[in-house]
Amino acid sequence: MFDLFREISLTIKNNKLRTVLTGIAVAWGIFMLIVLLGAARGVVNNFEAESSNSSVNSIRLWSGTTSMPYKGYRDGRWIRLKDNDMEAIANEVDKVSDVAISTSVYGFNIVGPKDYISSGLEAVYPDECRTQRITDIKGRFINQKDIADHRRTIVIHRDNAALLFGDSDKALGQELQAMNLSWKVVGVYDHRWRKGTFIPYTTYKAITGGDGYVDQMTVRVENISTDVEAEQTESQVRSVLARRHEFDPEDSNAVWVWNQFANYLKQGQAMIYLNIAVWVIGILTLLTGVVGVSNIMFVSVRERVHEIGIRRAIGAKPKDIIIQILSESVAITTIFGYIGLVVGMGMLQLLSPILEDQAGFVNPTVDISLALQVTAALIIAGAIAGLFPAVKATKVKPVEALRDE
Amino acid sequence: MDYALKKDKVIELRDVNKTYPGIVPLHVLKDITLDIRKGELVSIMGASGSGKSTLLNILGILDNYDSGTYHLDGVLIKDLSENRAAELRNRMIGFVFQSFNLINYKNALENVALPLFYQGIGRKKRNALAMEQLERMGLADRAHHLPSELSGGQKQRVAIARALVTKPSLILADEPTGALDSKTSKEVMQVFRDLNNDTGMTIVIVTHDPTVGAATDRVIRIVDGRIENNV
Repeated sequence: MFDLFREISLTIKNNKLRTVLTGIAVAWGIFMLIVLLGAARGVVNNFEAESSNSSVNSIRLWSGTTSMPYKGYRDGRWIRLKDNDMEAIANEVDKVSDVAISTSVYGFNIVGPKDYISSGLEAVYPDECRTQRITDIKGRFINQKDIADHRRTIVIHRDNAALLFGDSDKALGQELQAMNLSWKVVGVYDHRWRKGTFIPYTTYKAITGGDGYVDQMTVRVENISTDVEAEQTESQVRSVLARRHEFDPEDSNAVWVWNQFANYLKQGQAMIYLNIAVWVIGILTLLTGVVGVSNIMFVSVRERVHEIGIRRAIGAKPKDIIIQILSESVAITTIFGYIGLVVGMGMLQLLSPILEDQAGFVNPTVDISLALQVTAALIIAGAIAGLFPAVKATKVKPVEALRDE
Repeated sequence: MDYALKKDKVIELRDVNKTYPGIVPLHVLKDITLDIRKGELVSIMGASGSGKSTLLNILGILDNYDSGTYHLDGVLIKDLSENRAAELRNRMIGFVFQSFNLINYKNALENVALPLFYQGIGRKKRNALAMEQLERMGLADRAHHLPSELSGGQKQRVAIARALVTKPSLILADEPTGALDSKTSKEVMQVFRDLNNDTGMTIVIVTHDPTVGAATDRVIRIVDGRIENNV
């Protein structure tokens, strides 16, 4: 084996330019493959993170305006969701695990010991935490006990907490004034762009008496795996609301629906295609490198016909020649491919914070198992690249090879 | 022919024919019958195109023949696989070429040791055996020089050392002095002569140079694909 390595290193040293040019082609191929895979991984990770945050198995509904006349009613009628729709949907639609509602309340200030804000409140159910994709929270969100006992609990954003209390860390457990009542801060959350202040819906209803109209409703479903099932559920929800609010179930404008599960499935499919596309592009890029290596090995074999003739005259068997050329090819692809791999992974590490900040990628890196797979693919690619020239080299008769100058 | 006599012959050719196919097939060797005994220093002479190189290629198992038989040291050389041919070339024949045919990026020692590499001999032993042959050729001090750093005569002596390193039954030299000046040619021929005298090595030299032919024990002339004299 040592002899073989020495033979390879001697030949490579003797053909520096050729080796470096081949190596650059391979390194570039691998570099591109790693960067593409990393970027695709970043997109997929971002999608998955968003999906897990927003709890994708849900259908969100908003009030709308009818676009069709129905049972004597003219079109253009405002259909407003009501809190008692929640119970009807929960009872009548298959596969519903939970229904939550939320509504915005404006027209008063939220007053703290240091300052006040007038951004209004959102009266919600516990599930709103998932809907709003709130993950970074100190304390807790509105819970079922708050809903059941009509507690005056409040959850605020960290920036608002800092404003109202002077220091966001001091807010938890403190009291705030809103709607002429005291509210206990039970949670301080952080989110990049959501800044809402949340209270239990039932407390709000109990305090105001309320008209029962709500801004939006979230219907959570379970045991659904296809977009057809998701659309069936959506259709059932629409039918229940159509019956209750007297509009045409076919009227898609009467209630606005965002079927997140159907979108998720479609996006999931798109992610699979993206992954496939990235692999195809990557492998084609790598193949370009392999074809390059194969070409250069062909040239190398052509240049070395005479040398191969000498080797065969003094006793090299065809397999010795094949092993030598294959080994050279594998060595070149492995060494330079590894360089491409390391540079590609380094580049991803370097760009990762920028991509995460600017382009919405999440962890755009390649894990070690994938790197190992790529390395294995490299060695196989190197062997394939060298195989054809190697076999060709052994087809030349020694006597003809010796004549070749 | 009894076995003992047959064993005494390193080369035994009987009615060997070789034709190169083509639009007009070229019958290069015609019914060649030839015996070369152990310990002989023989030259094969002929004009260009007479078939002497084809004969050398067949003797060196570098090319096939169409009909007849060829025994090398008692082994029938016919329709061999590439692997078997390579093995026999490695163990039984040492080649010396006109243009030396050294590998330019290997030093003298590595060039001489190369046939042993293909026998699977370890590096230490290989280098020791190669050095032994270089010392015999008076080139021990040039062992680590590349071919480009050696004179023509030195290169040819490295090539002879490489031919000898496997202790073959036969040395085949193709115009070994063709690329050398007359002084160096004489030196190289003296190397062959000394080898033959000292070790009894069988040496066959293909040449068109009469002075080289005159320096051998026997001259085989080949004219138009036939052996004209087999003295």
